[in-house]
Amino acid sequence: MNHEEQVVLYAAGRLSKNERVHFEEHLAGCPGCQADLRLWQMTADEISASSSAVPAPVQLAERALERIHQPASLQAGVRRAWQLLQIQSQIIQREMWPASAAVMALGAIVALVANHVEFIYFIAPLVAAASLAILCSPEYDPALELTLSTPTSPWKVLLARLSIVSGYNLLLALAASFVLLVIVPPELLGTLILGWLGPMTFLSAVALLLSLWIGTSNAIAIAYGLWLVQYIPYRLVGAWMISPGWSSIILAYQQFWQSPTLLLLLSILLFGLALWFASRPVFRLAQGTG
Amino acid sequence: MVSSAIAKQTLHGQRIAQGANYSMTSDEQDLDLIRRMVADDENAVRELYAAYGQRLYAYALRLTNDPAVAEDVTQDTLVTAWRTARTFRGEGRLIAWLLGIVHHGAIKTLRHTSQPLEAVEETIPETNASPEEQAQAGEMKRWVRQGLQSLSTEHRAVLELIFYQGLSLNEAAEVCKCPLGTVKSRLSYARQHLRGVLSRNEESWR
Repeated sequence: MNHEEQVVLYAAGRLSKNERVHFEEHLAGCPGCQADLRLWQMTADEISASSSAVPAPVQLAERALERIHQPASLQAGVRRAWQLLQIQSQIIQREMWPASAAVMALGAIVALVANHVEFIYFIAPLVAAASLAILCSPEYDPALELTLSTPTSPWKVLLARLSIVSGYNLLLALAASFVLLVIVPPELLGTLILGWLGPMTFLSAVALLLSLWIGTSNAIAIAYGLWLVQYIPYRLVGAWMISPGWSSIILAYQQFWQSPTLLLLLSILLFGLALWFASRPVFRLAQGTG
Repeated sequence: MVSSAIAKQTLHGQRIAQGANYSMTSDEQDLDLIRRMVADDENAVRELYAAYGQRLYAYALRLTNDPAVAEDVTQDTLVTAWRTARTFRGEGRLIAWLLGIVHHGAIKTLRHTSQPLEAVEETIPETNASPEEQAQAGEMKRWVRQGLQSLSTEHRAVLELIFYQGLSLNEAAEVCKCPLGTVKSRLSYARQHLRGVLSRNEESWR
């Protein structure tokens, strides 16, 4: 702490006894700090005199309670939700938008070139999982702490971000699917969409929940692992196979990723869990505050 | 010189403590208020207002400079505190959390009414005082007041938080939602500004 700060805290009575004694020794021989102290003391006197002369309005608590009793109107709710979406979309990691779009575009190009629509099934969940895992991480979002200290409850902030990013991922994957109509007949568009929708939603729900729990990097690693393990070539695994039941487990696991209804239901459950996780009241007793 | 400074300092410290009334509410009582609000106890809102209402309103008034708007902001703060009590994590002091809500509300209101937050008016109003009244000590007080009025809202906010509300620099940063360095630079700017106002007035007074 330099003297410029010390003199402010001294005038405000915020220095500890030791700091005060130390500073007074310095003050005795420093005309600059003495002048600053006079200035800050006059300022402090003026500010505390004018602020303490302000009377608290009467009945304000009663008026606040009246408002607390009123149910929030639907219109006001919609307006607040819209404002929240706008604010959050500006705060979300900027790099996420072009990065997701670029990876998804790359996936669509590879699928086109290789004439393999499956590639979009492969890439869409990975893009979505990564973008949701960075959604609520302080390491990737310096504004998060500030966001969480605003009056909006954390679960609403999370829901807003979740909606924005999931909506964006959905649009990207839809766009990629339309591009793939070049190599796929139009009547298969529905099948194509169902192919990535379930895994994408479920994997991103897993990534989001894990990121709240064990951090972004771990969440991405585990989610990617869960997704990629089904792509291990079966014959290669067969060479290391320990038990004969192994192949049926692999098969069941692959089928799990191909059941859109089950995946979507589980996703709803996981998203709900993540929102609950974000809304838990955390009462850490204040010890040594100040 | 130093001893008179200390005497003044102690007096000033006592006045803040009495005026701001924060020595009466301990951390346990604060947490108890929050727990009761979470448990829908409406009396907790009344007690919260009795304990902190004056300080919250004074800060809102300092930011908005309009008693009606300051009242609205303070009322909004109570409603927000009630609705979001469960998000108070007890990591800092309750007063800093509440002042943060006031700050957020006041700045939002000022933005909506497009009042300048940063504009600094450099002109100093002419004195109306008669020559007899112009004793320098009294004048200095008036100049400081003028200097404070010509500071921007953000700068005045930091001074109010530190000198009236008794917050630490870190807490002031938390309330203003800005980095600690910004609080320090605002203090530094305020010092320069007030010094400038004082020295200009002292020259013209001579």
